[in-house]
Amino acid sequence: MIIVDAQAPDMPIVFANDAFLNMSGYRRDEVMGRNCRFLQGPDTDTDVIKALANAIANGEPTNVDVLNYRKDGEPFWNALQISPVRDAKGQLVYYIGSQVDVTARKAAEAALEAAAAEQARTAQQALADRTALLHEVDHRVKNNLQLITSLLVLQTRRTLDDATRAALQSMLSRVSAIATVHRRLFQSHDLERFDVATFIRDLMGDVSSGREEVEIHLDLERVDIPAAQAAPLALAVNELVDNAFKHGLTPGHPGRLSIQVRRLNGHYVIEVCDDGPGLPEGGAFDQGFGLTITNLLAQQLRATLTFEAGEPGLRAILKLPAHG
Amino acid sequence: MSRPLSVLIVEDEVLLAVELGFLVREAGCVEVGHALDSADAVRLAQDLKPDIALVDVHLSDGPTGVDAAREIAEQAGAIVLFMTANVKRLPDDLAGACGVIGKPYSDRAVRRALTFLARCLQDGAAPGPPPPGLALSDSFVGRWGVDQTAPAA
Repeated sequence: MIIVDAQAPDMPIVFANDAFLNMSGYRRDEVMGRNCRFLQGPDTDTDVIKALANAIANGEPTNVDVLNYRKDGEPFWNALQISPVRDAKGQLVYYIGSQVDVTARKAAEAALEAAAAEQARTAQQALADRTALLHEVDHRVKNNLQLITSLLVLQTRRTLDDATRAALQSMLSRVSAIATVHRRLFQSHDLERFDVATFIRDLMGDVSSGREEVEIHLDLERVDIPAAQAAPLALAVNELVDNAFKHGLTPGHPGRLSIQVRRLNGHYVIEVCDDGPGLPEGGAFDQGFGLTITNLLAQQLRATLTFEAGEPGLRAILKLPAHG
Repeated sequence: MSRPLSVLIVEDEVLLAVELGFLVREAGCVEVGHALDSADAVRLAQDLKPDIALVDVHLSDGPTGVDAAREIAEQAGAIVLFMTANVKRLPDDLAGACGVIGKPYSDRAVRRALTFLARCLQDGAAPGPPPPGLALSDSFVGRWGVDQTAPAA
């Protein structure tokens, strides 16, 4: 603690206790009669000094943390509290200054701040790494799907046997459906949801070009399903469309294919209708591979798959429970 | 059709390049060359002066397709079409390319895109909106007077 004379020019120190001398490293005779600005040094914050000078000029008490320097040049953080002392007439006569060395607390605070900044940097880097990895994986998956597609097309070109060709083309259409899903999933901003209507538009844009004689009618409500269901649903829809083209719509003959997606009582209903020969006698199909996997996919999606007589043609109805 | 358009394929995945060659011929064009890396791509483009260059972003010398595309478009004067799994990484101006087809593409999408480009090049104007799967750059939409009012693919 020190006391300074507020009325003498430049407010000299008139009292200093031992604690102050220990903290500052000066002898008593070195501080008496001096203004205490000798404690300041090169890194002392001038704004803090200005605030201190203001308080003194206005005769107000104040608390500041100020960087001071010992006699040996060693800096220390000084939690300084100054209080004015007035005489009976209200005249300012002394200032009492009490000092606490808070270097350890300041160091801890700085370390904490540095640690927090480092943590933020690490988190940011981790996020950047994760994003880069996601892009890389996305890129590889797309390229691999492209490779699989191209391999299937190449082999189809080389295959002369009609049945083998047809099988390869079916596989190609299935892989393309999955590829379309993947292209769509990463194009959207939401990686968790999959937009069924946009997928069907993509799928039909691709399929229809080979069969210009077929008139395509789309009536699609916007329906989002969880991304995990995207591939099975896309495959199932692809099979139904494929089936319509194969059995409902005779190549070279005009026909009509319509697809409808809508919400109905907590379900999503996807209907694929053609105007072909419709249900066979007895109302059931032979279980071809396409129908087998469509039924399996429907099971996986907890969906029901039914075939009805359209007017005319065939109406395939896939009904799956809506989520959220 | 006056004369078949010449096409340079820039693709480091050889099987894809072979299949692209088939699609190019099926679209009534002629494949004039194939490059695996950016240096070959730029050199072949300058030597062969193709009408169209199909350019992947990742080539055998790294992600150099964008720079190669810019050089091919600006110096060899070819119409560049990107074919990449990295559509999001392309610059906004598509490096002077006319458009992009995202991988994985279908054979139909490529055939339709090539047929569309051939019409644009021969008529100097688009026959209609671009086919599904083909996204055009703004400057080529303007150049070919492409009708963008059709529903987006």
